[in-house]
Amino acid sequence: MAGTGQTATARIQPKKQTLEDAYSPPANFLEIDVLDPQTHGVAKKRYTDYEVKIRTNLPVFKVKESSVRRRYSDFEWLRNELERDSKIVVPPLPGKALKRQLPFRGDDGIFEDEFIEERRKGLEMFINKVAGHPLAQNEKCLHMFLQEPVIDKNYVPGKIRTT
Amino acid sequence: MPSTPTLSPQEEQEKLLEEALSIVKNQSFQMKRCLDKGKLMDGLKHASTMLGELRTSMLSPKSYYELYMSISDELRHLELYLVDEFQKGRKVSDLYELVQYAGNIVPRLYLLITVGVVYIKTNELSRKDILKDLVEMCRGVQHPLRGLFLRNYLLQCTKNVLPDVEVESSNGEYEAGIISDSIDFILLNFSEMNKLWVRMQHQGHTRNKEKRERERQELRILVGTNLVRLSQLECIDMGKYKKLVLPGVLEQVVSCRDAIAQEYLMECIIQVFPDDFHLQTLSPFLRACAELHANVNVKNIIISLIDRLAQFAQNEEGTGIPAEIQLFDIFSQQIAQVIQNRSDMPPEDIVSLQVALINLALKCYPDKIEYVDKVLETTEDIFNRLNLDHLEHGSPVSKELMRLMKIPIDNYNNILTILELQHFGPLFECFDYQSRKVMSCYMVSNALENETAIPSQEQVDSLLSIVSVLVQDQNDQPEEGEDPEDFAEEQGIIGRFIHLLLSEDPNQQYLILNTARKHFGAGGDKRIKFTLPPIIFSAYRLAYRYKQQSDEDENWEKKCQKIFQFCHQTIGALIKAEQAEIPLRLFLQGAMAAGSIGFDNHETVAYEFMSQAFSLYEDEISDSKAQLAAITLIIGTLEQISCFGEENHEPLRTQCALAASKLLKKPDQCRGVATCSHLFWSGKSTAQEGETRDGKRTTDCLKKGVKIANQCMDNSVQVQLFVELLNHYIYYYEKENEQVNIQVLNQLISKIKETLPNLEANEETEQINKHFQNTLEHLQVMKQSDDNEGADYSELVI
Repeated sequence: MAGTGQTATARIQPKKQTLEDAYSPPANFLEIDVLDPQTHGVAKKRYTDYEVKIRTNLPVFKVKESSVRRRYSDFEWLRNELERDSKIVVPPLPGKALKRQLPFRGDDGIFEDEFIEERRKGLEMFINKVAGHPLAQNEKCLHMFLQEPVIDKNYVPGKIRTT
Repeated sequence: MPSTPTLSPQEEQEKLLEEALSIVKNQSFQMKRCLDKGKLMDGLKHASTMLGELRTSMLSPKSYYELYMSISDELRHLELYLVDEFQKGRKVSDLYELVQYAGNIVPRLYLLITVGVVYIKTNELSRKDILKDLVEMCRGVQHPLRGLFLRNYLLQCTKNVLPDVEVESSNGEYEAGIISDSIDFILLNFSEMNKLWVRMQHQGHTRNKEKRERERQELRILVGTNLVRLSQLECIDMGKYKKLVLPGVLEQVVSCRDAIAQEYLMECIIQVFPDDFHLQTLSPFLRACAELHANVNVKNIIISLIDRLAQFAQNEEGTGIPAEIQLFDIFSQQIAQVIQNRSDMPPEDIVSLQVALINLALKCYPDKIEYVDKVLETTEDIFNRLNLDHLEHGSPVSKELMRLMKIPIDNYNNILTILELQHFGPLFECFDYQSRKVMSCYMVSNALENETAIPSQEQVDSLLSIVSVLVQDQNDQPEEGEDPEDFAEEQGIIGRFIHLLLSEDPNQQYLILNTARKHFGAGGDKRIKFTLPPIIFSAYRLAYRYKQQSDEDENWEKKCQKIFQFCHQTIGALIKAEQAEIPLRLFLQGAMAAGSIGFDNHETVAYEFMSQAFSLYEDEISDSKAQLAAITLIIGTLEQISCFGEENHEPLRTQCALAASKLLKKPDQCRGVATCSHLFWSGKSTAQEGETRDGKRTTDCLKKGVKIANQCMDNSVQVQLFVELLNHYIYYYEKENEQVNIQVLNQLISKIKETLPNLEANEETEQINKHFQNTLEHLQVMKQSDDNEGADYSELVI
């Protein structure tokens, strides 16, 4: 049975991991927080925006820590761009809550704190899913959304080149 | 929208765990049933399903641990069953390969380990190869929590089967392995577990960092078990520990650059391996300490090691610290290195390290005070470098420094040894006023408790310089004065301490007193009333010593004169500080000392001291009670002194009589003159041998007393004075003063008897009555006694 014995424990030798590799923090750290919702303006021009804060060590992002303010329609814009240009299945956004936008409501509609918090969570989940996808990470629109102070909606779509 | 009531995170955990446990229960039941029926393959399938529960990511480490414990219990059944079957010869061929067909990696590896251990126990295949294979295969699980528990399972299962021999026992067809295989096995498992454990830190959102760190702390024992296992291998001797084990462990610890892991594992190394191993590997261990992450509390690690070794040095009298290991030097150097590497180390932590070092020095090298001094020097240097002084009382660094400096005090219980430490005094300067005071009191109290005499002028000088906060005003003392009671207590301690400034050699003692006088003399009016009197008493005592040793020192008389000059001048300092009662008493004490020591010129000195006491009495003491007390003392002192010639004694006793009769209140006068009567009876002058025995003038005083008593208007006081006078008369009657006869006693007795019943009944009256009754009782006894040495009481009327 000696033959079987040796084959039973015979394996391909794994490459030895260096101590550096074993203990260095992961190279794909990416954390996006959506927080601090603020409601601006009055009547028809009333809207809520959120702080979108990113921390990462991914080489593809040129700034490792940045923060911008975005409103729901900006997320919608990002989603449309990705859907059109990238090959990924883009996750859905939290609902538009059209019902809440009908007139003659007893409450504040889409400006209720509870609703805003619900939406904030949804947006956070959405953006983390999207930004974590390697293919989406190449899209110019994502970078502009996350790191440029103002979104230039007339930009030329394309891919980011990582050198 | 969620319609079900939301569960708290804890309830959620409980629910998940409960569900998992019920599946485990169910599957294990079925597994056992299959095994009982001999259906191994079905049993394994259930085992695999049960193990599938360990694939979860939902459970907290705590819940996961519970689940793991329950499952590993069930796996024990499987293992026992298989061992049993194999031993009965019912082997299942290729079982080791077979279990590897399990679909998921977590169940697959648990089963592989279980079967692997069965193979080892039943001598299937090579133990060495299986161990190596298992520890390598576990790499397949890289999820931290799952991986840690899987590898813990590996450690638990292989606990008793690791090779622990030096040489391969070649009595089988397979290699059983030797100790180095076990070391490789555990070190690899350790490094993999440490890696997973450190990686946990990077999982999840940054905002949950604290929770994650808590969870990692809960899991640390899993990683530490590797080190425990290493320490249990008997074949690991000093050489292997030094060459293989420690370097292997330290490499991982240092490289992981994770504070939680480093702190725990270093502590773990210290605790699990024996002390003599540590002694032989101090340098590599401490070098590693210096390389740890900045957040690691390296102080605690080093202190823990030092404490252990210090204990070791004390416990084992026989072995102790081997002479070739320069324990103190090694620690001293490495600690300096650690401090240098960590520029942001708080000063209190630096001092804590020095505390550990000083403990080490004292415990391991009790005779080498230079080591203790070295620690103090280092501390002083560090404080100078950091520009730290006037450390605020109660601040962490001040507290720590205090702890450091109390250690040698407590340890030596001899402040003379403390004085030998060159760097002890200078460190005092780092404290603020309050702390210096606390430390000084601590030192002085230590001397008092141990009755440590300070035998030389130099030592007294340096000691009083160190505790100067108790001796003199300080530049940095607070504006507002302190609590008078506290101050009195503190100065009282110092007063007691002065009596410890003692040399065997009287000449040295004289120098000591002069030095002490200089220090304390600068203490200001508040302090000197506490500190100068003990110096003066000590000086009087020194004069007596010179007298005793007069045979050995021909200059003793001159020296005594100097001492009395010293005292005279020191008492003068107290008078300048507006003291009167204490100086008066010190003068009287001095007069008595001078009188009885009898050196050249002593009479002049005694007279001077007496006359000084009189001037204080006349000029400074105005309160009538204080006056009576003072004149009574003066009379008493004069009565005791026998050195005066008539030309000195006469004015003194006349002065006493005069002063007594000039007291303001009648009762005081009465008592004063009555006391004075004794000067004319038992007072002594050099004019004649023995006591004066001037019966006439003695009774004159008493008659005067009776006269004054008669003038008192308060009946009660009057009777009291009569009783007192009666006692004086009886005394003289018994001493056969011819001027006192039995009629005088009878008169006084009848007068008292007459008046006493008229007094108002109260406590005072009762006391007077008692005094009188006692006196009568005495007389009664004397009257009935036959042998009365001349005093004839036959005519006494009671």
